[in-house]
Amino acid sequence: MSSFNKVIKTLVVPIMVFAILEIICLTQGQNIINNIKAFDNFVVYTAIVMVTTIALSINLNSGRFDFSLGSMAALSSAIGAKISYLLCAGNNYSAIVMLLITIICGALLGLLSGVIYVTLRIPPIIASLGVTLVYEGLLYTITGGKYLMTEVQNDAMSSFVGTWVYATIIIIIVLIIVIVIFDYTRFGIDYSALRNGQKVAVNTGVNEVKNALICYIICGTLMGIVGFLNAARNTNINGGQLNFGSISIMFTAFLPMFIGTYIGNYTNEKIGFLLAALCMSMLNSTFAVLANKVTASSQSIINAVLLVLFLIYLNNKDAFLKKIKKQS
Amino acid sequence: MKKFKKLLSILIAIGLALTMLTGCESKNETNGGTTSEETIKIGVLVADVSGEEALGFRSYYENYIAKNYNVEFSYTDALASAEDEKAAIEKFASQGYKAVISLSSSDRAQQIETCEKYGIYYAVASGVLADEQFETYKRYEYFVGQVGPSNTTEFEAGKQMGAYYKDQGVSNVAIYGAFIPSPMHVYRTAGVISGLGLTYGGADDMEGIVGQIFADQSVDLSKLSGDINVVSYMQGYGDTTTDEINAAIQNNPDVFISVGMATTFFAQPLSKAGISFSDIDSFTSANGTSIKEGTLTYLAGKYSSSIGPVFALVYDAVNGNVIRDNDDNAVSINQSYLVATDGTMFDEYYVSDNGDSPIYNVEILNTIIGNDVTYDDVLALVESK
Repeated sequence: MSSFNKVIKTLVVPIMVFAILEIICLTQGQNIINNIKAFDNFVVYTAIVMVTTIALSINLNSGRFDFSLGSMAALSSAIGAKISYLLCAGNNYSAIVMLLITIICGALLGLLSGVIYVTLRIPPIIASLGVTLVYEGLLYTITGGKYLMTEVQNDAMSSFVGTWVYATIIIIIVLIIVIVIFDYTRFGIDYSALRNGQKVAVNTGVNEVKNALICYIICGTLMGIVGFLNAARNTNINGGQLNFGSISIMFTAFLPMFIGTYIGNYTNEKIGFLLAALCMSMLNSTFAVLANKVTASSQSIINAVLLVLFLIYLNNKDAFLKKIKKQS
Repeated sequence: MKKFKKLLSILIAIGLALTMLTGCESKNETNGGTTSEETIKIGVLVADVSGEEALGFRSYYENYIAKNYNVEFSYTDALASAEDEKAAIEKFASQGYKAVISLSSSDRAQQIETCEKYGIYYAVASGVLADEQFETYKRYEYFVGQVGPSNTTEFEAGKQMGAYYKDQGVSNVAIYGAFIPSPMHVYRTAGVISGLGLTYGGADDMEGIVGQIFADQSVDLSKLSGDINVVSYMQGYGDTTTDEINAAIQNNPDVFISVGMATTFFAQPLSKAGISFSDIDSFTSANGTSIKEGTLTYLAGKYSSSIGPVFALVYDAVNGNVIRDNDDNAVSINQSYLVATDGTMFDEYYVSDNGDSPIYNVEILNTIIGNDVTYDDVLALVESK
């Protein structure tokens, strides 16, 4: 496939999504993005979705379904909020201190989750369910089941998500680091080998356990960033997310993961996740335009229907394209 | 040897008896002017564990009342459903609690029924029962009563708030309906609509608007009609709320009118966006900060010790004086809201109801605690505040 064709096929999905959603917004006399506030929200949401999607894909692409991502984000952000408030008491350094602590906590929680998986040797989905319950329980204990608000409601936090600048920096840094790690390091090559043929890779000397642990650490780190961004954006952290209440944080990434993987056939997979996150953010902004007409519950249904439709398309792509060719 | 054993037995028996008597003596201390043999355990049902109002109420009970009376409060976690409320009451019953005070309103009828079943005194401290419900339960043995803003008062509070902004000349508003279909929030929202001079499905009176909102379980913007444009409406709090508040902010309303909890959830993003907001909440320090910064421009609130009279009713009931109104029904007394639109007005109420010196302090509460207290005493006190 020529480079030009690759570029076209890479961009076709986001361009189509933009065109369809812009037409819908125009029928309401508006655009997807109407003002600078809308643009700020658009970029911040893109960052959250992209980082969550990358974190979800890392383990899922290796056959490890990790339910604990949401709880990692929530717990790491709660710990980060508590410690940063103790250190900074809401001053100008609060946001950056919380971001750093949250990232470190996320990495440690990811490592712990990985250690539990490789030590117990039980199916990852079961291990991650158990880890989710434990992390949610810890979160509940730390917060007393309350929303953490004082700790995250300050000028530094609101400024962080009050502009598109910081979210853009996070998007760029995360993309560069993740692409370098997964495409240009020994770990990345091993990861790719394990993903494409676990038995062969192990027989050729790839350390599966070490690779899995690093994957969990990276996932935890990324979810730490997500936890921080969510806390800043929501201006609170819900401490009462018991009984898998935190899973919804992860589920926002399913549709973009499938879209991103599809786009990844024509470009770097991580770039695919960014473009997929842009699509989701455009959809989110369209919901904002239609907020008075499409209720929150309807928005959830629309997201779920889109996910199902996209999966149906992916699973029947060849037959679908054949049929179109035949008809034309 | 036999004599020694006998002597030892007698000494042990005397020792035990003295220990028991000492225990009785320590628990017969006078607390707040009343005498009680054992610490009275009161369960508190809460749906909100984070809100400014809820935290203020909790602090008053735990840090003031519990220190001054022989009571122990046990708060539930955030109750999300009627089933949770029922389970919490059953747990209190199994642990020997004497009374339940409710700040949770998923299913008040079931709460009363459950307390009646287990013989636990029950009182409502936030919101009131619908009139029909109160008629049904007002003669229940263990239903002590309710002290709080009546539904009409809730409507009027919303109406006054809406009218305030109409008089200010706003043209675009966003409305937060809090936790509709909670009755108090339905009545407040209906009041806001009425106060803004709008009609809802053609209705402009309380019953007409309230009935439709209950039926819709929300506010349908297409049913609103009038000179002021409601650019955004939202309710509840969940995964999509941040997107909804962002959408509301993007619509650039002149004011964000909330009927509850905005000061808890939205003060930060609204302040950052430079959008003034209002709320029906409570006189707490965080709200004081917002109103002095000029972002919170209207607060209809209760003060934290406004739940004092409910405690007094429950305390009296547990101690044998179940107060009934003049028709021998459970007590139902209306409380009004205080309104502040600037820092000076706010301080007037906040400073007088703070920490160790609440409006309903021990001296005042003691006037309605005791075996001789009547309904008229309670009514007179509540109406005087």
